Amino acid sequence: MVVSLIGLALGFLVVVQLRSQAAVARTLASQDNTSVALLINDLNRANNQLIQQAAALSLQETQLRQALTAGGADAQTISKELQTLRAVTGAVPVHGPGLQIRIMGPIMDFELQDLLNSLRAAGGEAFSLNGSRMIGSTPIASRGNTLMIGGHAVSAPLVLLVIGDPEQLEPAADLSASSLQTRVQVDIQRKSDITITEVISARPLIYAQLGR
Amino acid sequence: MTVLASVSLATFLVTGLAATQFRSQPLASSNRLARDEALRQSVNQLEDQNRALKARVQALQAEVKAGEDESARRSSAVQQVKALLDEQKAIAGLTALHGPGLTIVLRDGVDPNDPADRSLGWTIHYQDLQDIVSLLWASGAEAVAVNGQRVVPSTSFHYAGVNILINNANRLTSPYTVTALGDPSTLANGVGDPDQLAELKSRNRIYRLGLSWLRSTRLSVPAYDTTFLVKSAQPLG
Repeated sequence: MVVSLIGLALGFLVVVQLRSQAAVARTLASQDNTSVALLINDLNRANNQLIQQAAALSLQETQLRQALTAGGADAQTISKELQTLRAVTGAVPVHGPGLQIRIMGPIMDFELQDLLNSLRAAGGEAFSLNGSRMIGSTPIASRGNTLMIGGHAVSAPLVLLVIGDPEQLEPAADLSASSLQTRVQVDIQRKSDITITEVISARPLIYAQLGR
Repeated sequence: MTVLASVSLATFLVTGLAATQFRSQPLASSNRLARDEALRQSVNQLEDQNRALKARVQALQAEVKAGEDESARRSSAVQQVKALLDEQKAIAGLTALHGPGLTIVLRDGVDPNDPADRSLGWTIHYQDLQDIVSLLWASGAEAVAVNGQRVVPSTSFHYAGVNILINNANRLTSPYTVTALGDPSTLANGVGDPDQLAELKSRNRIYRLGLSWLRSTRLSVPAYDTTFLVKSAQPLG
């Protein structure tokens, strides 16, 4: 009885292991080479970004330490980080190079989400649509044929401003536009300096609390 | 004993099947095999490097934070800026949060192997996750994470071949768990609305994607695991 129980447990273990190996195989080992090559491309890009993040943090740490060693405190370094985060969360006006994308007819919520998602993947840093600042958590919804951004209706023509490296943004915008262009006219223009003056005030946390 | 016998038989059959399948594939030149192997090894190496770089970024983030805390203790002016900074960190997703909310789970179904069905409806696509996350934001979510990856302002979902990537080339694999903090009822009503995620819900019925959601009184979402690089968008003033 004991032997068969152990045997059963072992057998079960083998099956479980086989299953999990199969799952791993589906994700990497059995992928076609094109998929693997595209993954390598993305990993290289992400790792380069992480190296740049580490360099920026390292500099920030050095500056803070130097001020502390000299007996003071480096308010400027902290202010700079604050401004960077405010740019990320949409709390301050920003400017920089990017694209102006004009969409001459109505589109659905998911079409706008796809476009924003691709532009973000291509390094888009700040967005506004018809004068409304948008970040990832800005609610986008279709009510019938009306596009609602953060609860406000917007209507065509839609003017989307995106700040980021135009070299990277443009191929992403072209790809999204090519699927929209069967229905609506889309016009993409590179801009050397775009200003987005609109800001977002953060939604207050009512249910969420700090800490794990 | 019968159970054990059938388990061993199943194991034997699966192993045999795998071996047969392997053999029946057209003979590849050794060059080709070596190249395939090298490609997969590159992924493993790059993913190792990715993990090591994230650990390095996190260690530096902790050092910067220690420097900021110390600076704030030295000067009341810095303390005020630091308070604003902490507030922005929470908004940007650099802080772990907990609270009531909703958990949504779904997984890749089984390939029907039907020549008439080439829709790939049985797999979860990055767009499905993107749609779920968007719906949660529209339903009042205060914070969202997917398979333990916090959704932050710079987050995008995309494909690299068949791989779904999020945040610094993180590969998402089935099963998928989306966690949202907020009013559980409002979130559940949003997801339960038959007009929302209609296509995913219909595929869930056909391909058994295991789509379900559960309200909870206490959930947690982790902090974003690295930081933000802003290169082009300069703050005005």
